[in-house]
Amino acid sequence: MNPVLLGLYKYVDDMIDAAGRLRDSGYEVSILSPIPLGHEIEEALGEPKNHIRYFTFAGAICGFLFGIIFTLGTAAMYVLPRGGRPIFSATPTLLISYETSILIGVFFTLIGFFLMARLPYYKKRVYDPEVNVDSFGLLVDGIREDKYGEVERVLKEHGAKEVKRLEKE
Amino acid sequence: MGSDRTIEQIPYEDVNADVVRTMTETGRLYYIFLFLSMAGVVVLWGLPWAYQIYTGQGVTGLQTPAFWGIYLANFIFWIGISHSGTLLSAILFITQTPWRRSIYRSAEAMTFFSVMTASIFVFVHMGRPWNFYWTVPYPNQRGLWLNFMSPLMFDVFAISTYATSSMIFLYFGSIPDLAAVRDRVKGWRKEVYTILSLGWRGTDAEWHWLTKAYPFFAVFIIPLAVSVHSIVSWDFALSKVPGLSKTIFAPYFVVGAIYSGSAGIVTLMIFLRRGLKIEKYITKTHFDKLGMLLVVMSLIWSYINVVEVFTGWYADTSFETESLRYRMFTPPFSYMYWLMIFTNTVMPLFLIFRKVRRSMAPALIISLGINVGMWIERYLIIATSLPRKFHPYMWNDYIPSLVEVSITLGSFCFFTMMFLMFVKLWPSVSIYEVKEDIGIPFRRKKGHH
Repeated sequence: MNPVLLGLYKYVDDMIDAAGRLRDSGYEVSILSPIPLGHEIEEALGEPKNHIRYFTFAGAICGFLFGIIFTLGTAAMYVLPRGGRPIFSATPTLLISYETSILIGVFFTLIGFFLMARLPYYKKRVYDPEVNVDSFGLLVDGIREDKYGEVERVLKEHGAKEVKRLEKE
Repeated sequence: MGSDRTIEQIPYEDVNADVVRTMTETGRLYYIFLFLSMAGVVVLWGLPWAYQIYTGQGVTGLQTPAFWGIYLANFIFWIGISHSGTLLSAILFITQTPWRRSIYRSAEAMTFFSVMTASIFVFVHMGRPWNFYWTVPYPNQRGLWLNFMSPLMFDVFAISTYATSSMIFLYFGSIPDLAAVRDRVKGWRKEVYTILSLGWRGTDAEWHWLTKAYPFFAVFIIPLAVSVHSIVSWDFALSKVPGLSKTIFAPYFVVGAIYSGSAGIVTLMIFLRRGLKIEKYITKTHFDKLGMLLVVMSLIWSYINVVEVFTGWYADTSFETESLRYRMFTPPFSYMYWLMIFTNTVMPLFLIFRKVRRSMAPALIISLGINVGMWIERYLIIATSLPRKFHPYMWNDYIPSLVEVSITLGSFCFFTMMFLMFVKLWPSVSIYEVKEDIGIPFRRKKGHH
């Protein structure tokens, strides 16, 4: 498998310029950074969709239904006469469903994050600890053997303080 | 950002180094405090509880008609303390308040540990904690099931949801920082943080999904926290006992919880910044903002207190009047009541002055005073209501025994012990959010923006 190039930058705008240029040239680029860059990246590379909300919504609905079925269903299974009070009661059912909506909504959101971000992942991957400190990394993949020099030059032209050639797996 | 920034310019590299240093470099004083808190847990909490379990609930001051006492006052108090951590963190996140960034991690941890402390009091109060499984819903031949109409059952669902969600909220926001710690430590720590950080690399995709998921957690946490303390208030308010059966209890409890939690954050941050030498991250600006929040909460809390007394007095029933008289004008409760008014209504007014808000000693005294007052409030709710129910021939003062007082003090040792362990095992200041506060480095915009 061809190695990848990792350009390390001090300034975010330098890295984003290089990312845009290399992406337009047909390379696969991804960014490694110590902080979320949000708008800065979205302006340059486009805004990805937010699928997490579907997980959250589905979780909240499942939680609500679970709460309803749990309270009403078990009230039917284990009938507890309480001095003339109804066996099925709306208020406690809704209260408990409210809590279970939140609980399962939170779980689904977490699962959604894990699936979308592909975490946890414990096998070796391309990484440099500097990108978790004070450097912004531009990872370039899909480089043909004869193009490494050219990509390296573009990375440096845009202010990379260091360019590393790293094995993928 | 510009003027919103709450901390000075610090190089990114220093942020990583400083936060990891708080976890890896430990002074002698830390071990002394840790030992004292552990000893306190064993001596003040563990042994008296063992004695109580062995001898029976007779060693407490609980007797007819007051079968709820200091344990449940502690339960409410600790649930209240838990409120500001996660709730405040979530509200400040939604409103994109920059001064949240340095303090929220420890505040969220405070939530988790205080919920733990509160939960243990349920077992202490239970008397026979080994029968706890009777409250768990599982199919059984005895034909028993949970009574979902009981507010105590609402409590189980609300508090377990709150504890779980708070823990997830705390962990989720910490993933990038756990990765940063992973990259700087060696030995067993390296292995632990490698597992905890889940293989985080800080790719644009990972950040994207993290920043998209985080607001959903925050949005869930806010109504959840409000529901938790209103449900705790219904443990009392859904009864018919004078002094407890009040419609204002839900907002009263929620406001009180945020108030005591915010004061708890101030106290904790004062010790944290000094103990871990992180004054440049938790600055006087943070105390300035928290001080203003305390003034606001004090005024709301005081208002609700007046409303509670006024509506009780206006109702003009002999039961309600007796309940108020017993609480406000009968020693020793009256001393406690007026001390509470002093610490929670009068003292926080000094925080109107900027100088007081930004000075550590007055801020510490006021925040500790507020929590003494809030504990008294929770205690008075229970100790002055159940002993004064409808039949005067049943009246009986509730005086906690030494066992109860000791376990109460032990709970503070337990909380301290948990927090001391936390600061050595978890990044107590958010590395990546502090960097966000410092600003993103741009070449074309004159340094950081």
